[in-house]
Amino acid sequence: MKRFEFVEASSLAQAAKLAAQPNGAVRAGGIDLMDLQKEHLAEPDRVISIRRVPGAAEIREEGGALVIGPLVTLAQLASHPVALAKWKAVAVAAGEAASPQVRNQATVIGNLLQRPRCWYFRNELLQCARKGGPDCLSQEGENRYHAIFENKDCAIVHASNVSPAAMLFDGSVKTVKADGSRREIPLAKLFVKPEVDITKEHVLEAGEVVEALVLPAKAGGDHSSFLAAREKSAFDWPLFSLAVRLEMSGNVVKAAQIVFGAAAPTPLRREKAEAALVGKAIDEATARAAAALCFEDATPMTQNGYKVAMGTALTARAILAAV
Amino acid sequence: MPPRPRRPRPLSVVGTSPPRLEGAAKVAGTARYVDDLEFPGLLLGRTIRSTVPRGELLGWSMGRRPRGLHVVSAADIPGRNAIALLEPDQPCLVRREIRHAAEPVLLLAHEDRDALASVAVELRERPRKAQLDVRASRSFCKEILIEKGNLSRGFARADRIVEGEYTTGHQEQLYVETQGVIAVPEKDGVTIYGSLQCPYYVQKALVELLSLPPERVRIIQVETGGGFGGKEEYPSMIAGHAALLALKSGRPVKLVYDRSEDMLATTKRHPSIVRHKTGVRRDGSLTAMQIDVLLDAGAYVTLSPVVLSRGVLHAAGPYRCEDVQILGRAAMTNTPPNGAFRGFGAPQTQFAVEVHMERIAEALGIDPLELRRRNALRPGDTTATGQRLGADCSALPCLESAVRRSRFVARRRAIEKHNAKARVSGGPLRGIGLALFFHGSGFTGAGEVKLASRAALELTPTGARILVASTEIGQGTRTILSQIVAEELGWPLSRIEVADPDTREVPDSGPTVASRTCMIVGEILRRCAQSLKRALGRMTPRQYLAKNGPLVVTEQYDRPKSMHWDDVHYRGDAYGAYGYGCDVIELEIDPVTAEVRPAEVTAVQDIGRAIHPVLAAGQIEGGTAQGIAFALAEEVVMRDGRMANAQLTNYAVPTPLDTPPMQVEILEFPYGHGPFGAKGVGEMPIDGPSPAVVNALRHAGLDIRDIPAVPERIAGLVDSMRGAAT
Repeated sequence: MKRFEFVEASSLAQAAKLAAQPNGAVRAGGIDLMDLQKEHLAEPDRVISIRRVPGAAEIREEGGALVIGPLVTLAQLASHPVALAKWKAVAVAAGEAASPQVRNQATVIGNLLQRPRCWYFRNELLQCARKGGPDCLSQEGENRYHAIFENKDCAIVHASNVSPAAMLFDGSVKTVKADGSRREIPLAKLFVKPEVDITKEHVLEAGEVVEALVLPAKAGGDHSSFLAAREKSAFDWPLFSLAVRLEMSGNVVKAAQIVFGAAAPTPLRREKAEAALVGKAIDEATARAAAALCFEDATPMTQNGYKVAMGTALTARAILAAV
Repeated sequence: MPPRPRRPRPLSVVGTSPPRLEGAAKVAGTARYVDDLEFPGLLLGRTIRSTVPRGELLGWSMGRRPRGLHVVSAADIPGRNAIALLEPDQPCLVRREIRHAAEPVLLLAHEDRDALASVAVELRERPRKAQLDVRASRSFCKEILIEKGNLSRGFARADRIVEGEYTTGHQEQLYVETQGVIAVPEKDGVTIYGSLQCPYYVQKALVELLSLPPERVRIIQVETGGGFGGKEEYPSMIAGHAALLALKSGRPVKLVYDRSEDMLATTKRHPSIVRHKTGVRRDGSLTAMQIDVLLDAGAYVTLSPVVLSRGVLHAAGPYRCEDVQILGRAAMTNTPPNGAFRGFGAPQTQFAVEVHMERIAEALGIDPLELRRRNALRPGDTTATGQRLGADCSALPCLESAVRRSRFVARRRAIEKHNAKARVSGGPLRGIGLALFFHGSGFTGAGEVKLASRAALELTPTGARILVASTEIGQGTRTILSQIVAEELGWPLSRIEVADPDTREVPDSGPTVASRTCMIVGEILRRCAQSLKRALGRMTPRQYLAKNGPLVVTEQYDRPKSMHWDDVHYRGDAYGAYGYGCDVIELEIDPVTAEVRPAEVTAVQDIGRAIHPVLAAGQIEGGTAQGIAFALAEEVVMRDGRMANAQLTNYAVPTPLDTPPMQVEILEFPYGHGPFGAKGVGEMPIDGPSPAVVNALRHAGLDIRDIPAVPERIAGLVDSMRGAAT
């Protein structure tokens, strides 16, 4: 790890200002940043901690929306009674991430913004397309953990558990930039597809600091679910994950939202399947039919065809679980 | 009737579970590991490694050199450029020929970590065609043939012949603390502080490498965060590197690998291909066993010949058969050399035989449990090498106890009913599998005689101090050796101290490997304690020291008179004692996602005598978890001769959540030449889980013969199973 200067910011605006100077990095929980530093994938000269920023570790309800501060940990969110009741999939997703130790330290925002786990990307010796190299090395290489959708240019899978669940609620992030200006970015616009810019996963600018994740209340928040398949029961990223929210009228679906996590480079809405569920009562057959629709456009690679079968099963189960 | 365990005289320290001696320091964080140590003027080391799996090193060039950079190449080696172990084939640094990727070529040292990392080195390598396929390799570093009886006679007596091929993959030891040493230059030699298992192995290697007499090469083991065999031979390499840098720079040098370098460069478990051809009668009795064992040694010999030896000696499993032929070969490939790992060849060959036994039962249409009952070794039977087993042969009692405790027969019936329904509904399947196994303690055959290990006890004013080179690597060496000595002397445990393993202070009690520390070194120490007791007579230690001055008693390994071994023909008493074990594992399998979850584990193991029951059970639980992961999760992906997933995010080791509840039962069939009857316990627990898991998968309808059976592999089988059903 390269040596760096450690600074504690007293406000998020100050952190943004400091981080905008060349080679600065903002640190909240520090989990992914530390990994990136150890692997020489991030070599900041100055690390700006926001640990001392007052109020940043709070979860609030504001005008019916859940507002999650930048120091709120995954563990905090996972056990938050209101979140569990009304934004169930989000709380469950937070509780399914990483390990108990990591969840006590890692932040929800950090989970959203973490860099991909692709083994070519994480290997400092290899220059993959995302790091400015000529090719996505997984195309011809080991791709068992890689994307089964939108994987032609770069086959990373989106690493966050929280984001697919948060997208069910049309969540957004509020940010502050180095010049003190503020903006709100819907999650649907936050993440960047490889075809747009292969080197970044989100649209935040240098020094732009997230002040909060905002989750509006939605009908069916209690009818939402998150499911993931992993190789290990803890301390592992999903092989496949998804979140589902159903708005029910009696036993009939009024509206549905399905978002895949670890399946494509960014969280992936499955509108066709969502539409197919509307007006139907959920049973095993409708769940399976909708699940099958979700994978019509899958383009599995040489080693990850298993994810289609696995994903189809998990999708059907998540739909059934959301009822 | 199998003999019942004997109950020897009541003991007061042995058989109890006091807190482990270094436990408090480890829990409180005051235990100091290599990376915690500082020395004035300390430099940090870095290793430059080959990038091709085979080729020639034509030269190297270096970008800007920061001031104070020290560089060591093969030309700087004062002695022989080889890591002395079994064969001198492995260079400490590549001179010209590259035989595997990540082979050390150059060493750098600098006091500043960033400056050291910034040095750009380019190797000029001319690649040559690498041999990466062990089946195609025609270069063998060792061949062993075991013959008993007459194979053709055995096959002639058979009603059926059952054949099968079984393979296992690499496995990474994954000690929590990575490899690390500090070399300190001394006036006329060098001192090594290291995370290691075998101080005298390191000394032997450095004596050759540095061309120094042994007394000038001092090796001190510091607190070590796990080994599992991975710190048996590799510390000689990294200590050699640090020593070369220290001698060239004249300053202490610390060399600690990060996880990725550790996984890329150091040894792993040997992948294996084992073929069985077995003659059986209709009643299930084995008439002939022909076994072919092929291990992938990697690019250098390291310990492969002895791993192969233990592999073939366990290849027939704990079964009786009069006509046996076992052929073992260790083949060279251009992959990083494989080496010692808990079990040392036995987990690979016992995986094969135990999975094969299940196939035999299937072929004959008989109960696999009955098949094992019929063939399990009993006292008076002989092994494949003709070793006649004594009253402590407990294969059957282990089997029966595990079957009883796990309610194997009832569970199996219930699971079959459950699965019949689940196959229709698509719900989770279950499977239950069983494996019977054994494990020889100590070095093979004449190995212990050749080692001639010594241990010593020094009288202190308040008690005694243990002097052994056996290392504490997390398994409880200090505590159990102290218990043995305290018991023999009739003193409380608090009066026993343990010296740090330091080649200047302690005699060579052999390496800390092969499940030998308790059984072999423990027994030598027990005899030391006996002598000390005799010398003391009725005096207290203080009285004795006042009257006679210092007292150190040293004893040496004493071969049991009845033990004979022919190393040329592989005949005779391969091991002083065998432990036996039986694992029953129940799994839940998601037929859609191909996730396999171990649900319940019963492990029954005879270890002669549990010196410290809690630590012994811990060894069994840990080894069992590691064995289950060997079967289901841990996959070393090799690409172009190099580990592609040298990261903990991609190499899956089990977490506590992945580790099922375990029911552990320890049986005690004492061994007459072990301390208070003890046999080894370190390795045996890893022999049984992988075949038990695979047999459970088979019970659920999944035909696995190759491990690790990772979800992708199981997914394919689930599909084919469904295809067959529709």
